[in-house]
Amino acid sequence: MLWLALYLPQLPLEVFVRGRQHAGALAVVEPHRGREQVCRCNAAAAACGIRPGLALPTALALHAGLAVRPRDRARERQALHDLAAWAYQFSPRLTFEPSLLLLEVGASQRLFGGLRGLLDRVRREADQLGYEVRHALAPTPTAAGLLARRRPGREVRDRGGLADAVGKIALAHLTRDANVRELIRHIGLESIGEALQLPRPELTRRTGPRLSLLLDRLLGVAPDPRVEWRPPDRFAQRIELLGEIEQSTALVFPARRLMVGLCGFLRGHGGGTQRLQWALAHRDRPETRFDQGLLDPSRDPDHMLEVFRERIERVVLTAPVVAIGLHVDDWLTLGECNRELFGATGGRDRDLLERLSNRLGEQRVRSLRCLADHRPERAWQLCVPDPAGASTSPLAPHGVQPPWLLVQPRPLQDRRGVPLYGGELRLEQPPQRIETGWWDGFDITRDYFVAHSPAGERLWVFQDRRGGGWYLHGLFV
Amino acid sequence: MQVVDLDKLKRDGLLWQGRQRCLASARVLPSGWPALDGILGGGWPRAALSEVLGEAHQGLPLLLPLLARLSADSRWLMWVAPPHVPYAPALAAHGIRVERLLLVQDVSAEQCLWATEQALKSGGCSLVLAWPGQVQTGHLRRLQLAAEQGDCPGILFRRLRAVREGSPAALRLRVRPAPLGFEVEVLKRRGGWGGESCIVPVEQPGPGLRGPDPGSRA
Repeated sequence: MLWLALYLPQLPLEVFVRGRQHAGALAVVEPHRGREQVCRCNAAAAACGIRPGLALPTALALHAGLAVRPRDRARERQALHDLAAWAYQFSPRLTFEPSLLLLEVGASQRLFGGLRGLLDRVRREADQLGYEVRHALAPTPTAAGLLARRRPGREVRDRGGLADAVGKIALAHLTRDANVRELIRHIGLESIGEALQLPRPELTRRTGPRLSLLLDRLLGVAPDPRVEWRPPDRFAQRIELLGEIEQSTALVFPARRLMVGLCGFLRGHGGGTQRLQWALAHRDRPETRFDQGLLDPSRDPDHMLEVFRERIERVVLTAPVVAIGLHVDDWLTLGECNRELFGATGGRDRDLLERLSNRLGEQRVRSLRCLADHRPERAWQLCVPDPAGASTSPLAPHGVQPPWLLVQPRPLQDRRGVPLYGGELRLEQPPQRIETGWWDGFDITRDYFVAHSPAGERLWVFQDRRGGGWYLHGLFV
Repeated sequence: MQVVDLDKLKRDGLLWQGRQRCLASARVLPSGWPALDGILGGGWPRAALSEVLGEAHQGLPLLLPLLARLSADSRWLMWVAPPHVPYAPALAAHGIRVERLLLVQDVSAEQCLWATEQALKSGGCSLVLAWPGQVQTGHLRRLQLAAEQGDCPGILFRRLRAVREGSPAALRLRVRPAPLGFEVEVLKRRGGWGGESCIVPVEQPGPGLRGPDPGSRA
């Protein structure tokens, strides 16, 4: 077994700032011996001399405009769960420690072209998610976690190398259990190496079984059962925006983070989705919700982002946004998602359709189909464009038909029975009679003529045989 | 010293000689109207913008044979902001597979230009027709670039008054109704002199005969 530990040293800070591309000076504080103290701060705050460990009043004295947030451990836990949903694509065996994820990658590394390929992918995507990660590899979860925190970058492939790798690490780092830590302070052992050199019965006699068990788990001598994380069956995540966003284009940045998380989740489930449900939270108004449609099930964050950019253009922000949420309730199981599958055009026809529909609204982007009906109003229909659309066959045409149809027939004046359109129209004979429709309540009795206007245009006009009126219905121009 | 292969340039249509009337076939799409191809140097420019100027957005029938031929392709035939409803049975009677049409309707002037540009450069269309209102020269240049980038012909139908404005389009035609069809005049043609005109008999006498038979084109 090989465990990959991902330690997130800046998690307390990142849960506040990851939604923002540029954030002002921010410090996360927590109580320490009865006073508020800086626990993490961002680069903008560090540039003013603020650093972890400073008392809050001191930090504020260094930079009066410092934004301050109390540490939010519940949000950190939630962030780890969200991260796990993304990391599930790398391994189905996954567990947590505070600020740390543990993945068993011995079996799954092969799928990513080996460990290097897997690690590159983890680092790249973690960065896109807005998290700094430090990693370590070890045959036991305890050792991997310890190394990620204390010796980041260390990779130990077999148990034989473990004792060496962890030997210099202070024994106190082995556990967060206050009782064991107290014990360690009393026995006068500094490092893990020193403890490992003591004969084990001697150590157990002096310290009790707890420390001994920890060391055995560290080295893989004793089993180290962990509660395995189970993935949720739907995706629902949200990012708080640290203040308010008023411009919809500024939402692209946090949206991308959510989409990277979503695509990790979808890959973990071997699926792709066609509908992303977005929710924008405001301070004291109901959420703004909108859907983003995709033509084909996808789990490609770049593609989703491109479509999101178009979709967000159409969203009217009624109030500043304080958080953005993404929900995906259903997805389809896919084989490997591959846009190359879509024929010679490589999916470019689909990409265009998606881009247009999202930016302009689906109802403005339409295709046509023929219906088997002789009545001009009923012989065609606007329809949803289908890139793989099959042919519809119209009725065999009878008579001359114009390429343009007026949505509504336009009444024409007439002079002694001759219709007028910039002067008297000259009608080609014989007319084409269309007379049908009693069965669906749209019955017509019309004589259609090709007509020539004095300006030289060819028109399609008809005379309603019931009322005798003349109408312009189509153009040959 | 760099050696330039003149024959290759001629073949690719990159070199034009004054007495040569036809562009290399790789650069044009035959219109399906022999008379029109004659004055266009072989057909519609392939990866470029063309303008059809006329009153009341005239000129669609000139494109029907090309639409029919390109509708066999799996890419879209895009119509942006058409002035009326394309009458599907009539188009189908011309051999056009109407389900290849992608119509963008009820859009603002700005959205119309945006959609046209997207369509041209997407590589997802085999032909883009657009009926924009006023277009500034800068916009035309963008569309021309998009057409080159996406290797897609773009046809803009514009009002006759645009004749007075300059244009980076590769081809500009003026159309006027004439007995039996349209009179088409070349105002500007890349690789040509302009000034030629012809009658395109889109309207053939007798019912049932509407333009050339879609099956008979090369």
